[in-house]
Amino acid sequence: MSVVLAVGYASLAAAVLAAVVSPRAAVYVTAAACGLVGAVGIASAAGYTHASFSIASWLGFGQTMLVSDGLAGIFLAATGVVGAAVSLALAQRSPTRLVGALHALILLAICAVIGSDQAFVFLLAWETITLSLYLLGSADRDRPDALVAGYFAGGVSKLGGGALLAAFGLLYAKTGSFEFAVWAHQAPNLGSVRDAAFFLFVVGFGSKLGLIPFQGPLPPLYAAAPGPSAATISLTFFAAFYGLWRLVFAILGAPPLWWGELLVAVGGVTALVGILYAVTEEEIKRFLGFSSVEHAGIATIGFGVALVGEAAHLPRLAAAGLLAATLQVLMHGVAKALALVAADRVQTATGQAEMRPLGGLGPRLPLTATGFGLAVVSLAALPPFGGFVSEWLMFMALLQAFRVNDTIAELVLALGGAALALTAGVALLAFAKLYGGIFLGHARERLGRRHMPTRLAPGFVALALIALVLGPIAPWEIRWLGHGLGGLLGSDVIAQAVTWPLVLGPVYHGFSVMSPTWLAAGLTTFALAAFVLVRALARPAVRRAPVWVSGTAVPVATVQYRPEAYSNPIRVVLSGLYRFKRTVEVREENGKEIRVARTRVVPVFEDYFYRPIAAGSVLIAGRLRRLQSGSLGMYLLYILAVLLAALALIPALGH
Amino acid sequence: MLKWLFRGLRHGVVTTRYPARPEPAPPGFRGRIAVLGPGDAPQSLGDLCPTGAIQVEGGRVSVDRGLCVLCGACVANAPERFGFEAEYETAVRRRSSLVVGERLATALEGLRPTLGDRSRTLRRSIHIRHVDAGSDGAEEWEIQALTNPYYDMQRLGLFFTPTPRHADLLLVTGGVTNSMREPLLRAYEVMPEPKAVVAVGTDACSGGFSATTGEVVGGVDQVLPVDVYVPGSPPAPIAILHGLLLAAGVVTEEAAA
Amino acid sequence: MSAEETAREDPLLQALEGTAAVEEAPPRGPVRQLRIPMDELATSTRRLIDVGGHFAGVFRSESEDSLRALLALRGELIVLRTPLDGARSYPSLSRVTPAARLPERELHDVSGVVPLDHPQLDPALRPSADELERVVTGPETFVLPYGPIRSGVFEAIQFPIDTGGEDILAFTVRPYFKRRNLEARFQGLDFDHGTYLAERIAGTESVAQAIAFAQAVERVAGIEAPRLAQRWRVVHAELERIANHLDVGIKLAEDAALSVGVARLGVLKEQVMRLRARLCGNRFGRGVLMPGGVRREPLLSSAEVIQAIDSFEDDLRRDRSLLLATASFTDRLIGSGRLDAETVMRYGGVGPIARACSLGIDARLERPYGSYGRLGFRIARTTGGDAMARFEVRLEEIDQSVHVIRQALERLDGDMAALRIAITDASGEGCGWAEAPNGEVIYWIAIEDGRLREVHIVSPSLRNWPLLSESYRGDVLTDVSFIEHSFGLTPAGADR
Repeated sequence: MSVVLAVGYASLAAAVLAAVVSPRAAVYVTAAACGLVGAVGIASAAGYTHASFSIASWLGFGQTMLVSDGLAGIFLAATGVVGAAVSLALAQRSPTRLVGALHALILLAICAVIGSDQAFVFLLAWETITLSLYLLGSADRDRPDALVAGYFAGGVSKLGGGALLAAFGLLYAKTGSFEFAVWAHQAPNLGSVRDAAFFLFVVGFGSKLGLIPFQGPLPPLYAAAPGPSAATISLTFFAAFYGLWRLVFAILGAPPLWWGELLVAVGGVTALVGILYAVTEEEIKRFLGFSSVEHAGIATIGFGVALVGEAAHLPRLAAAGLLAATLQVLMHGVAKALALVAADRVQTATGQAEMRPLGGLGPRLPLTATGFGLAVVSLAALPPFGGFVSEWLMFMALLQAFRVNDTIAELVLALGGAALALTAGVALLAFAKLYGGIFLGHARERLGRRHMPTRLAPGFVALALIALVLGPIAPWEIRWLGHGLGGLLGSDVIAQAVTWPLVLGPVYHGFSVMSPTWLAAGLTTFALAAFVLVRALARPAVRRAPVWVSGTAVPVATVQYRPEAYSNPIRVVLSGLYRFKRTVEVREENGKEIRVARTRVVPVFEDYFYRPIAAGSVLIAGRLRRLQSGSLGMYLLYILAVLLAALALIPALGH
Repeated sequence: MLKWLFRGLRHGVVTTRYPARPEPAPPGFRGRIAVLGPGDAPQSLGDLCPTGAIQVEGGRVSVDRGLCVLCGACVANAPERFGFEAEYETAVRRRSSLVVGERLATALEGLRPTLGDRSRTLRRSIHIRHVDAGSDGAEEWEIQALTNPYYDMQRLGLFFTPTPRHADLLLVTGGVTNSMREPLLRAYEVMPEPKAVVAVGTDACSGGFSATTGEVVGGVDQVLPVDVYVPGSPPAPIAILHGLLLAAGVVTEEAAA
Repeated sequence: MSAEETAREDPLLQALEGTAAVEEAPPRGPVRQLRIPMDELATSTRRLIDVGGHFAGVFRSESEDSLRALLALRGELIVLRTPLDGARSYPSLSRVTPAARLPERELHDVSGVVPLDHPQLDPALRPSADELERVVTGPETFVLPYGPIRSGVFEAIQFPIDTGGEDILAFTVRPYFKRRNLEARFQGLDFDHGTYLAERIAGTESVAQAIAFAQAVERVAGIEAPRLAQRWRVVHAELERIANHLDVGIKLAEDAALSVGVARLGVLKEQVMRLRARLCGNRFGRGVLMPGGVRREPLLSSAEVIQAIDSFEDDLRRDRSLLLATASFTDRLIGSGRLDAETVMRYGGVGPIARACSLGIDARLERPYGSYGRLGFRIARTTGGDAMARFEVRLEEIDQSVHVIRQALERLDGDMAALRIAITDASGEGCGWAEAPNGEVIYWIAIEDGRLREVHIVSPSLRNWPLLSESYRGDVLTDVSFIEHSFGLTPAGADR
């Protein structure tokens, strides 16, 4: 197995280079390599194997391995499987050299993050992801907003990378090693450095996940990424979540209560803010970006619950939280990749990035509509699909708050539950708007005939099938996850979430039960029965009558609810959050009174958070430039000062 | 809410048992016009009626209840020949049945089968869409009254539905103005089969006063096939209920008076 | 007193000082007709509005080829007559008052005479359901065609709503879908048949329409109906008012999904309708009125009516206090569709809509007719201007109506035997009015040798429609039915 893993990594690296010659072939190579890595991941998470291979000693940082153990196996499996499908989808869209290479590079870097056993490779791979995202985001040079998106993402990621670097520096200073194993061993003796490292990790990984206040860059990045490569970007979630699982839960370990409480709070706010921005978003990919923020928030809530469980010495609570969070990461990863590929198909077919002119695409793009529908029902957490299973387990985990003997923790978990419930409710509205606005009803504007996406779409179909079955097969997935997460939680805890016959519950027995498998079977049976009954009983004659519009014959497209109108009530109710204001301007034109509606939405975070920071940075940079007088002597002086400071700092931290 | 519940219970049942038991109209109620006296009638008798419902042919008098607005001008001026009947069950299935009096019997027009005959499954639950095609507003009140506790039409499986796409029965009021003609046709078009049309009120039966103004086509049957005519200006709620049940095939037509 | 002194003391002539206005013929009671040259019509109208006049309507009279503008003042109804003498246009009154917009479009459609400088002179009388115009443009807005066939048992009318989703940016009222051209139908009818037709213009206000018509005829004939007849007219008119206000209550309770409330108010309304049927044989009080009095003896004695009214009042009191204590009901009404007195005055609004803005506009007291001058009651007024205020006005008016009916029936005495007096001959022009449940209805009629030559009706619906558009101030789609039903207007009245 180790050989297979090595071949997988090597092929990924080769694909990056091959893209220069033939981007399309390179993407196919990427797909195959992902398949290999995914297979190894599945096997190692299931406990069949423990694959690893050495990539020699790096610049004297000691023996460096790429390892697929249980935890890494889960994330390698997810990255591999989804990455392979996304690669197939990308191959069909004839990517440019740059996009093909970046796609392979991002996947390689994600796998390297997940596989690395020491901080240096981890950080190197992480920074590679950051750089690639920046390049991918600004790959489309014709779009000025793409450049901005690239800078934005790059800027925020730099902040995150800096946080990781600082955390690693701290840990290195304390332990004298870059190896994760050493850190894990010495973690109990780290003292306050552990808290600092935790905080820096949350900032570092949170910046990629879009945890508040870093939710800004993700949506424009999705929108700017060319073709289906937005799906590639969505895969970086696996790396970031893996980082949290590995570095915070497995290595730092033994958390105080406030870690979990902080994450539940941050996750709750992120989920809510994410979905509230998503619901009013009109651009499909930006919508999906905010939805990713929402899902990152939800998974973070689960991770927070797991930390609370660990802190309160409730291994079952920890298991319930971690199980829900991991499932959430997987389900969202699949569904979001599917949605982004589908969004690209819509964009290809119509030339439209926004929902506003769309509508009624269902009959024109049946395959895309089906795939998008599957993604949407999972993302909106409708039973019996994957998103529903993970969100249900998340609720159940949060409902165990009463077992924690700490008022603040109970309160935070309860509030987290409330935020999750509200998020789930708004998500239903949001996804109904997204799907309905694009595929249902009538087209709002005449769209010229464009290039129709091919019907032969193995990557897309594969993603759709995975999204379809992930919910019903949840019991088996949970057993598999139980093996993979066994190293973190103890091997038999998670398995208790599944009871006979294929019924799920939070890890605590007798609390509540739900079975996506039986639900799926039952729903399918009822649907089939209804279909058969209708076919058997109904008279075959079907008469099509026009849509009823209050007795008028006005075209439905002109009077049907618009996507933005669908979410408008939320904007009106929460006008404080959105800074939404609509005014009707009256003016005279050619003697006739003309009234124009003006909508004003202030992007609160952009205006009150990012912009001041950006302005401040520019100001400081301007000031700092004065230091760069150009005199060689001065530069030498600076270097000397920094060196002295570093020398003073390291011993200080060491004790 | 509990207070409302008690308030509702306090009054007991006021609902009519119609059609299981007859519901008599109050004495003096102007339900319909009857032609009383036989014998030679002067031609000028026709001028009594503002809408031309009275026809005199060779000394024989007939009244078209579909045109009669129940004003009572004829009863006041020729009480020996015309009288009011305190009758609720005035609906008929043929337009020609509305013409009463001493007119020679004409060939009966073809009769559409009732909804109940056309579909056995439709008998017990009928969804109704009302369309105002130019009424004076009184018919709407009387139709809406069918949902009040006195008539409670839901007990008979009759329901209003907001969209004609779910409707089995179209309840039309008014003589169909030029502006409402197209919307009315559209409503009928989008209704699923089998469907029935009930014309409620004299205006819907014939146009009534507005029949000659040029703005009204003069009766729903000029535009749509009408299954049941409910004359009256306006017809009382029981009369409308009678018409609905007649269209559904729940009750049958009494012998023409 | 000399003519000059009279003019000095007459506020009307004072208001029109400096114009060439000439009073035509001696005033018939509270109706006065002034001849105004065409170029001064607009100024005179503005002056009369400035002294508190309510613009009621403008139409073209065929036989004399002149324009007639009606202005309702406290105590007087002013008819401004402007000879056209073949002219095909005149300066529009819509620039003076927005209340003239719809009447002038109607006038233009019917007669072809052009009101110059009218802001929107599109054909109005035969609307097509399919021509939806967006009033408000903008990338995020669209228009919902609410009507002409709306969900529920409602009369035909179209309310195109410009919305961005939930918020209402513009609410347009498109009446005339059911215009039957009944004004023309009056031509050539005798008074008897004319009354029957007047009763069928707008079914929910049959009695008020008949009273206005009958009084117009009576004014031309120079007679007054006997006092007993006047009393019975009052009883029928007030029963009609009660039924209308209860109907508004039913519709509002239905909008608030208050099913027991709907049932209770439905029972009360049905009781009133049945009382009306027992009283005259028709549930809408049709066939009762005639110029000169009432047609027949009522079928019930006054004691029976009073008894019925007593038990009704008792029932209503309980339901009403329960209704006003139900927050899910009142919350939807409070603040919805708010109007201010200034807007109502500008558009010449009438009825409970005006009275809910604390305006004391009620024809029964401003220009008392029939028995109203001898009966004690007060104008129901509130200050809110919103749907709740309108509903409160209606509830208060039900109380006042019950009070009025009791007075009318209690003071019937033996010497009031005559039910009607015959009108032998009449010729000329005249006006009659009545306070219908939703505001004043005015009939202007011209009679020639005992037959109607011309009839023009000023209906409260038409006068209040523009206010429905104006009442949307930050309201949302779910408020639409509450606001519309709180207005309680019947499209048939406007689409005559």
